Amino acid sequence: MTAASIRHKQPGLSASGRASLAFVCTSSLLVALAILHIGIGARFIGPQTVVSALLSYDPTNFAHKIVVDLRLLRLLSGIVVGAALGSAGALLQSVARNPLGEPHILGLNAGAALAVVLATALGGTWLAGPLGRPLVASIGAATVFCLVIAMASAGRSGLTPIKATLCGIAFSAFASSLTAAVLILDEQTLMDLRIWLAGDLAGLTYPAFGYAAGAVALGMGASLLLAPYLNVLAMGDKVAAGLGVRVVLVRTGGLICAALLSGAAVSLAGPVGFIGLVVPHILRPIVGNDMRILLPLSAIGGAALLLAADIAARMIVAPQELATGVMTAIAGAPVFIYLASRSLR
Amino acid sequence: MSDLLRNSGYRAVSLAGISFLARPRIVLACLGLAVIVLLVGLASLPAGSFDLPLPDLLHTILRPQEASSEHRYIVWDIRLPRILIAILSGAMLGLSGAAMQSITRNGLADPGLIGVKEGTAVMVLSLIIFLPQSAVLWRPVAGMMGGLLVAVLVVTLARDMSKVRFILIGIGVSWFFSAALAIFMTTANIRDVQTAMVWLAGSLHAATWPLVIVAFVWLIVGGALLYLTARAADVALLGNGTAIGLGVRLQAISFLRFAGPVLLTAASVSCVGSLGFVGLIAPHIGRFLIGGNQTALLTSSALTGAALVLIADTIGRLAFAPLQIPAGIVMSVLGVPFFLLLLWRRRDRL
Repeated sequence: MTAASIRHKQPGLSASGRASLAFVCTSSLLVALAILHIGIGARFIGPQTVVSALLSYDPTNFAHKIVVDLRLLRLLSGIVVGAALGSAGALLQSVARNPLGEPHILGLNAGAALAVVLATALGGTWLAGPLGRPLVASIGAATVFCLVIAMASAGRSGLTPIKATLCGIAFSAFASSLTAAVLILDEQTLMDLRIWLAGDLAGLTYPAFGYAAGAVALGMGASLLLAPYLNVLAMGDKVAAGLGVRVVLVRTGGLICAALLSGAAVSLAGPVGFIGLVVPHILRPIVGNDMRILLPLSAIGGAALLLAADIAARMIVAPQELATGVMTAIAGAPVFIYLASRSLR
Repeated sequence: MSDLLRNSGYRAVSLAGISFLARPRIVLACLGLAVIVLLVGLASLPAGSFDLPLPDLLHTILRPQEASSEHRYIVWDIRLPRILIAILSGAMLGLSGAAMQSITRNGLADPGLIGVKEGTAVMVLSLIIFLPQSAVLWRPVAGMMGGLLVAVLVVTLARDMSKVRFILIGIGVSWFFSAALAIFMTTANIRDVQTAMVWLAGSLHAATWPLVIVAFVWLIVGGALLYLTARAADVALLGNGTAIGLGVRLQAISFLRFAGPVLLTAASVSCVGSLGFVGLIAPHIGRFLIGGNQTALLTSSALTGAALVLIADTIGRLAFAPLQIPAGIVMSVLGVPFFLLLLWRRRDRL
């Protein structure tokens, strides 16, 4: 909060000035990427047509129909998923006090995927439908995350980044091998979930998008309410308790929000990794550690990064498409290596 | 001095003019382990989607000419190569894990964990896709080049191999290469992808006699490399200065001890695909069961690895018959709890 903003204050721009400048820059980047994202495809549609289709829709215009009927859903889902993953990463890095905190690394994605696959295989029609899927995925993510945190907090050294990361990787491996086993044993589930499992934005429906977006909005609102307390928590558990923050309550709340956000993202787009790792690390040197600014900014930045990855996934080997998750992994794994070699001396 | 040796369990053995020291307790324990591996192999032979009673089985193995062609086909062309390749690849992974943990002095090190598998897979896949006519024999060679390159990359990035950071950086590198692998899988011809997927999942059902021979040759090469440097590695554990003072050529030894595990892992990945956690678990079990010096550790770890892969493959083959679960998946379901146990024992230090 104030401590953080004082530390990052530089001659030239005040902290709030830098924050608003960052907001303007990331938002305009997001808008530009969104227009480009909706324009590319089998038939390229120019920026002016895209804007006019969105602002004054004309059902007789073929290009307008493509934009609104075919491509808008993919764009909106990309924005929601990216925003959820970006803010989940910022939350996890703060709650777990771990520079390597990220839904994919800490096992939340694998847990959510396993939960959805299990629910589909066990044949819960309500659970596997568009309403149930975000919920089931969030529960799976929360379960795995609790296991990871419990396991990593054991011992005299407490919750260190390296233990959290290794536990996350271990539980991820366990959950993904169980997922693979279920998919091999149950062909029908494989057929139902094949596209979703690749971490891809293709083949979505509006009801699924609606429920996931609702869950993301809920998680985002709750985490913004928590943000001031998270700032105090960053000064250390004892200081925070002395200042009257209920540490356990705030931690649990942050955990639930992170699970809800990444569960909703996974339920929509499948396991997409590394967005939550990259975005907060780019933004933190610019705007500092204030969670009230960092959280919404990470959401916008995450959405922009996911759109960029999706554009790249469709452009690089056009006319074929790569899965979006592959592109984010190619960009994110080097960032992980860099952070791991810097932060763990 | 000889009393001291005698008291710590060593006996002088002289065979055909060569004399050396051996510890009967460890030799016996290793023999016992070998017998267990053989018994597990034999026990998994009769079971399968086609049940073959034990008398018929023995008859087919001992007198193949007299057996019916159906029995001969099942035993000699399907089950025997599969069991042999499980034993061979398990031994390779066990050897490589033991050597890697001793050279890095890092109990969590396993060449499979740090991206060697993915690097190998990228190279082998390029071979399958771009040069489909090339012989199976070339796959391990190409795979080893890929694995070695990735290993060198990880060591360069991490600088110090004894830190846990080494493992994390290796995991990051392996993520990068598995994404590269996914690009291959989405863009290549669908029939190539199918061939590749069967092989990648760490499934042993494609075992054939040529593959068994390839695996055997590389096991001998890699194993020889590790066994010949084992005594120098024992001395090197005393510390770098002491080892150099005692006449160990440390740099040459370190390079060989590092190349050996990478070579073995790459060979096993090229033969059967990716089997995780074997190289991590086998040395710990081997050390727990038998202990002893580097030679004993290598042997016990190789035998444990063989037993592990054999058991994992048998479980995957029989648990949900007629459906088969690849051994790689069974192995990681068994291996993760063990990895967590290792983490738990280091919980105060990490």
